[in-house]
Amino acid sequence: MMAGIVYLTRVTGYFIGLQLRHIRGIQPVLEALPGCAFMAILAPAVRQGSISEILAMACVVLIMWRTNNVVIATGVGMTVLLFGGPFLDPG
Amino acid sequence: MTTWHSALLGIRTSGDYFISTFLFGVMFGIAAAASGIQNWHALLMSASVFTASGQFAALEFWTAPLPLGTIALSVALVSSRNLLLGMAMTHHFDGHSLPRRIAWLFLLNDPGVVNSFRMDEDVDRLGYVTGYGVSMMTSWLCSTFLGLNAAHLFANLDLGAVDFAGPLVMATMMMLFFKGSKSRPTPWIVSGIVALILFELDSADYLILLGSVLAGMIVAIVQVRRDYG
Repeated sequence: MMAGIVYLTRVTGYFIGLQLRHIRGIQPVLEALPGCAFMAILAPAVRQGSISEILAMACVVLIMWRTNNVVIATGVGMTVLLFGGPFLDPG
Repeated sequence: MTTWHSALLGIRTSGDYFISTFLFGVMFGIAAAASGIQNWHALLMSASVFTASGQFAALEFWTAPLPLGTIALSVALVSSRNLLLGMAMTHHFDGHSLPRRIAWLFLLNDPGVVNSFRMDEDVDRLGYVTGYGVSMMTSWLCSTFLGLNAAHLFANLDLGAVDFAGPLVMATMMMLFFKGSKSRPTPWIVSGIVALILFELDSADYLILLGSVLAGMIVAIVQVRRDYG
């Protein structure tokens, strides 16, 4: 059941796109959508994040901006999360 | 570039996210073992569902008797961003038969789509995303297996500390979008602002997603209309 639901979300989006593709100038609009979804998840996550989580996010953004290296960015972010939490987060 | 070579390129360039997916897979295996799910069930779930966020959401409700409706709804909501990934690839999977596109969409994955936008024009996008998906699936299955079998070693580990790992990985993809995009990032900025406003208004998660994506889409449409005159 779960596999069917998830697969359906993948296929349905593509077929909706096929129905819209004849509209002039629609391509950049469709291509902007995944980024909008990421922002919809990221912004509230940061807003309710603890100090260590916000610091970890800042590290990830900065490292990605400078190096584009996903492994280093994620590694540093996770390190801040795991080892920074006990020192930075109250309670 | 042929589909086959594009798929190989997808596999070759997926190293970064192979590692981060592996981390999530191990965590999923540990969480699945802790929730009492049988090993083969967890592996079957990873092989057939292939979505970290959806599978973690399902585990939250994994009690006997299984609340199938609740699980279905939560998985659908968490996976709804796949709709947007599919829509984003509409113009990029041309040149393939419909059955092939339908079958290969099973391996549609976020990092594959994000990275495919950064590839040269001659790369076959369906091949690339599928190759990327094969790599992610390999990572996901191996790491789930490892997590399930090593769960006893982590019995006392507090996985709550790494709950935020999902947004961190998503931030890496967002940065790739920001840096690789040929168009202005205004829709994404507006989406973020609208998401924050809706969050402050105590809106439900699905409303935040819906509202901010709609706002971003409207801004993108206005932007395109301006560009086209």
